[in-house]
Amino acid sequence: MSTDNKLLVVKDLATVFSTAGGPLAAVGGVSFDLEQNETLGIVGESGSGKTVLSRTIMGLQPRTNVTVSGSAVLNGFEVVGASEKAKRQIWGTDVAMVFQDPMTSLNPVMRIGKQIDESLRVRQGMSRSAAKARAIELLELVGIPSPTQRYNAYPGQLSGGMRQRVVIAIALAGSPKLLMADEPTTGLDVTIQAQILNLLDELKDRLKMSVILVTHDLGVVATRTSRIIVMYAGRIVEMGSTRDVFQDHRMPYTRALLESSPKVANPSHTRLVAIPGRPPNLLKLSDGCSFAPRCAYATDRCRQERPELEPAGPAGHFFACWNPLPTTRGASPS
Amino acid sequence: MVMLLGIIFVISVGSFYLIHLLPGDPAVVILGTGATPQNKLILYKQLGLNKPIYEQYFTWISNVLHGNMGTSFISQSSVAGTIRAALPIDLELMFLSQILAFATAIPLAMRSARKPDGPVDRILGASSFTLLSVPPFIIIVLMVLFISIKLGIPHTGPSSYVTFSSDWIVNLESLALPAITLAVGSFVVYYRVLRSDLIATLQEEFITMARSKGISQRRIMWRHAFRPSSVALLGSAGVNIGGLLAGGFVVQYLLAIPGLGYTLITAINMSDYLLVQGIVLVVSVGVVLINFIFDFIINIVDPRISRE
Amino acid sequence: MSELLEEASLVERPEKNKPLGILFWICVGWVALNVIGAIFANVLPLQNPLFEDFSAVNVGPGLHHLFGTDDLGRDIFARVVYGSRVSIAVGVGAMLIGFGIGAPLGMLAAYRRGRFDMVLTTVMYVLLAFPAIIATIAVLSFWAPRALAKIILVIGLASVPLVYRVIRTATMSIATKDYIIAAKVQGATDRRILVKELLPNIAPIGVSFLLIGIATVITLEGALAFLGLSVNPPTPSWGNMINEARTVLAENPWLVIFPSLALCLFLLCLNFIGDRLRSHFDVTEVKL
Repeated sequence: MSTDNKLLVVKDLATVFSTAGGPLAAVGGVSFDLEQNETLGIVGESGSGKTVLSRTIMGLQPRTNVTVSGSAVLNGFEVVGASEKAKRQIWGTDVAMVFQDPMTSLNPVMRIGKQIDESLRVRQGMSRSAAKARAIELLELVGIPSPTQRYNAYPGQLSGGMRQRVVIAIALAGSPKLLMADEPTTGLDVTIQAQILNLLDELKDRLKMSVILVTHDLGVVATRTSRIIVMYAGRIVEMGSTRDVFQDHRMPYTRALLESSPKVANPSHTRLVAIPGRPPNLLKLSDGCSFAPRCAYATDRCRQERPELEPAGPAGHFFACWNPLPTTRGASPS
Repeated sequence: MVMLLGIIFVISVGSFYLIHLLPGDPAVVILGTGATPQNKLILYKQLGLNKPIYEQYFTWISNVLHGNMGTSFISQSSVAGTIRAALPIDLELMFLSQILAFATAIPLAMRSARKPDGPVDRILGASSFTLLSVPPFIIIVLMVLFISIKLGIPHTGPSSYVTFSSDWIVNLESLALPAITLAVGSFVVYYRVLRSDLIATLQEEFITMARSKGISQRRIMWRHAFRPSSVALLGSAGVNIGGLLAGGFVVQYLLAIPGLGYTLITAINMSDYLLVQGIVLVVSVGVVLINFIFDFIINIVDPRISRE
Repeated sequence: MSELLEEASLVERPEKNKPLGILFWICVGWVALNVIGAIFANVLPLQNPLFEDFSAVNVGPGLHHLFGTDDLGRDIFARVVYGSRVSIAVGVGAMLIGFGIGAPLGMLAAYRRGRFDMVLTTVMYVLLAFPAIIATIAVLSFWAPRALAKIILVIGLASVPLVYRVIRTATMSIATKDYIIAAKVQGATDRRILVKELLPNIAPIGVSFLLIGIATVITLEGALAFLGLSVNPPTPSWGNMINEARTVLAENPWLVIFPSLALCLFLLCLNFIGDRLRSHFDVTEVKL
């Protein structure tokens, strides 16, 4: 595939925080691509680095005490090492982020209409009335009833689901080509979660956007993404099409993750499977595979040497494991 | 509100009682050298000094509420009148110094909050800390030293102060030095408070979101970060201004600016206790009122703040 | 993302291990030096601070007179050292009174709550509203004659409401913590709780406030000196030395510079120590 088609090309991206306890590698050496109009899911537990990765791809990491290395080219623009001023050019118009908690990501003392207006007027130079009209359009687009009235509301006056819709509206204001959704539904009621996710689906098709869905909830990505990246301790441990990852996963962690989410189809009183152990301390990463201490299949080599990503047969499916699970595909050997 | 009145009441009692702290006959004290038997009689009648003390207080307080704080026997002019002449000067001085302080503290705090631990921040932090430890009277003395030695202008005594309406250029010139001195102290406080509050606010998620919209730093700072942070600033402004009214005395005295401070000190030196009493009352009530007003404003800006 | 960082730092950061820094110890040293100088001024090899040598008026710094002499021929260095006595005595003395009265009351009120607390706090807040500086100036000016003890007493008493409020607020935030309630449930007596649990936790904040308070009081003494309300000449105090120097600024700048330096450096060190202690012991302040 020619690189012209790819919306995002990430190579060896690493993000290191300098903390009081030493350097913390939140993201270590991540590489992947994203096509236009593709939906990618990034899954992992808390502390896997998925949030940091999503911000680093956009260049939205904190400005101090952070070092980013590697490369992330978004729509032809190299994010790593770009100045804040240059990055501001792509924020909102090429890429936009939907944050996790709408209560903290919306300015509590500013009316929501104004918060939508802001990008329209400042970035696109719209007049006040034009911006207001467009904002109301956007509110309608994300499914907020009586948008003209709600334009003047404060975030505190809206329900959680509504607020998240507003956040999406703000993200869409610049007509971005990539929408980064970081745990967009965590913290919302389950019924609202489905609504928001459906909304994102609909919007992505309508507006021809790519979406990166970052979440710890596998249920969210199962039907809505074409590809999935599984992260652990700041690195990609498995990557491939959704189908491959769900049905032919090779890395034990992926299996553990799949098994630990409760399924309605299970008979009642099925024990919840938890992954034993605790997430690793990123300040003290071992030389071996980060998952080894918790892995039922770990060998000595796993503990001493970190596995690199290797292809798993079908194009686009990669995993990083010395002792992978046997493939479920009949034909090609691993 | 009740608290406010209660406090004012206590202040008035305190101010009133001051005269009686003095050894000897209050009348003699007040009259000073003019203590002839006739004058004593007049004073006794005026203040009711031969009556029990609470009655004296009542006489005094009702006089005060009518705007009559007595006539100073030393200067032969009405206490209330003297105060009325001096007060606007204090207000102008306060106003000027606060404008200076805010105009410098706000932008600098923003600059530092944007790049914490950067070179600007460190320098400002160290120097503001150092300035904290330098009392205003020393600032003045050193400034005067600097001016008179460097510029060779001998430091003259009496003030060159004139009112604003008569000649505003000279007015501002004469107030420049004291205003700057007072502004320094205020600046240090405002800068530190605003900086730490801004840094805290800038960590909030909605700031990152605003950033992701691609809007400029300056806009983020002013439109999003400043409003929540200004609460703490207002709080310290209230305390500071209240303190200024009281503490600006030395500055005034040193530079012979005839505000309330100057008047108070000279009154003390001349043993004009009636005037002292009046000024103490006015200033104390003033400070309390200022604190009260600021508390009120803060409550309006952010009703979420719970007062303790 | 911040949870990530928090987790990492909480796991790794040992409690209270922020080094105090060399600057801190330099300040402690300077303060100690001043205090020793003040206490032992009599036995130190200094000139007589009151001796007026009219043959050596307004002399600059030199071998014989380290800091030079003032306009009455008195050795400035000796006067500065002796002057520290006044400032330090006022600072420490007034704070001792303020803390001696205000701190126990504050702790008790915060711990007991109820009627006792309500009444006392209201009284204190009313007193607090009365600007302390004015009260001090007023009382001292009316209550002649001047004496060091009187100054210490008045300033000390004036500081009681503020100390009360600070200690009370600090105690309240600790007294509601679970381990205090746990101790109570275990049957510890009030006195035991106060001394063994509360006190050690209040101590750091208290000490840092104490130091800053001393600095404030010393500044106040300086201001009072300018108003002629401090100790009478010829007794030297940093404040009245600077005040006296005003009249001969042009001829003898040394008279202003040295006491000013002494005063400012001492205050700076006190403030710095107090500030460092506060941030060292304030575990809630997480710096990433």
